[in-house]
Amino acid sequence: MLFSNGLIGLREGLEAALVVSILVAFLVRSERRSALPAVWAGVAAAVVLSVVVTAVLVYAVGRMTFRQQEIFGGLSSLVAVVFVTWMIFWMRRAARTIAAQLRGKLSEALQIGPLAVAAVAFVAVAREGVETAVFFFASMRSAGAGSVQPLLGLLLGIAVAVVLAWLLYQGAIKLDLGAFFTATGCLLVFVAAGVLAYGVHDLQEASLLPGLHARAFDISAQIPAESWYGTLLNGIFNFSPDPSVLEVVAWLGYVVVVLALFLLPGRVRRSVLLLRPVRARRISS
Amino acid sequence: MSGHRLVRLAGSALVAGNVVALIACGGAEPGAPVSRIPVEATDHECRVTPPSAPAGTVVFEVSNKGTTTTEFYLYGPGGEVVSEVEDIGPGTSREMAVRVDQPGEYTTACKPGMRGAGLRGGFTVTVPRAG
Repeated sequence: MLFSNGLIGLREGLEAALVVSILVAFLVRSERRSALPAVWAGVAAAVVLSVVVTAVLVYAVGRMTFRQQEIFGGLSSLVAVVFVTWMIFWMRRAARTIAAQLRGKLSEALQIGPLAVAAVAFVAVAREGVETAVFFFASMRSAGAGSVQPLLGLLLGIAVAVVLAWLLYQGAIKLDLGAFFTATGCLLVFVAAGVLAYGVHDLQEASLLPGLHARAFDISAQIPAESWYGTLLNGIFNFSPDPSVLEVVAWLGYVVVVLALFLLPGRVRRSVLLLRPVRARRISS
Repeated sequence: MSGHRLVRLAGSALVAGNVVALIACGGAEPGAPVSRIPVEATDHECRVTPPSAPAGTVVFEVSNKGTTTTEFYLYGPGGEVVSEVEDIGPGTSREMAVRVDQPGEYTTACKPGMRGAGLRGGFTVTVPRAG
């Protein structure tokens, strides 16, 4: 009972925790610690808003219908994709600045307002927030009825998500700066692609997009959603073992386009820089 | 400044979502019957009692008495998803309120382990008695 409920907490908490830890690592590495309070403000605002929205909408005013839930989930996923994509290109700019060996100008290139930082943290947490809050209220009710295990499980799961994100932060912070931006940027591309596929799935369930039942593949026997590895894959990459064709198309399209845009210009720039000193030497000799 | 714009974008997206939800939830028609149907979900069973209700609002009260996380679905006569609740952890209960206006043969499903077609059963939506 503890374990299954813990996996739910882990899954719900992981993606938000990872995005926030990358954001924090990014700010620390680019010498913008002053923006850290904005991150925590964004996280806190999202948590408070999720609980209030859940309490008011789900319990007091009336229940959202299935379709409204899915439209809400789908649209908030798309908003999250926009923000994370923006963060990816922000990291690319940082990587390019390093490639251009203008390290001194790094923090100058990253002049982004604390509000933008708060917004990324906010969206990352708010996306899963309402769902987690609904589950939180349900486990509180069970606790009230004498069964504390679901609540304990949920809290433990979220705690594990935070620990994993902290480990990622510790690892990321040790990478050299160029590798840091490339690695975390690539990780974010796959996280965002998963969020996009998840959003597409929600909008398909709301019948705003067609093709819910056209499955691309089904490996739920090999990777059960309730296994710990299925949970990790789902928590980090929103991996679904039985996605629709449209989900796969959206995922692939996003990964191919954004990963190419993220990686290619940096390489071109670096090779140009490598050529220049060689030419210069030839001329001087 | 771009930061302000982004925050406003996020804010308005959330507000828009809430407004949509409020408008659509607000009008519960007076007179339409509300049925409460308890559902007991275990790892091997999905007991929906009774498996029928008059057209109107049906509130499925799903309690997970099993050992694994489950989901509850209601499928329409055409096989489309009418509503679902995910992440019903073992030992927890969740309510699923659905407006079903069309009488007919629906299908309920519990999905212990959150996969597969689930433990399915028929659910009949009857014509509400006039009055």
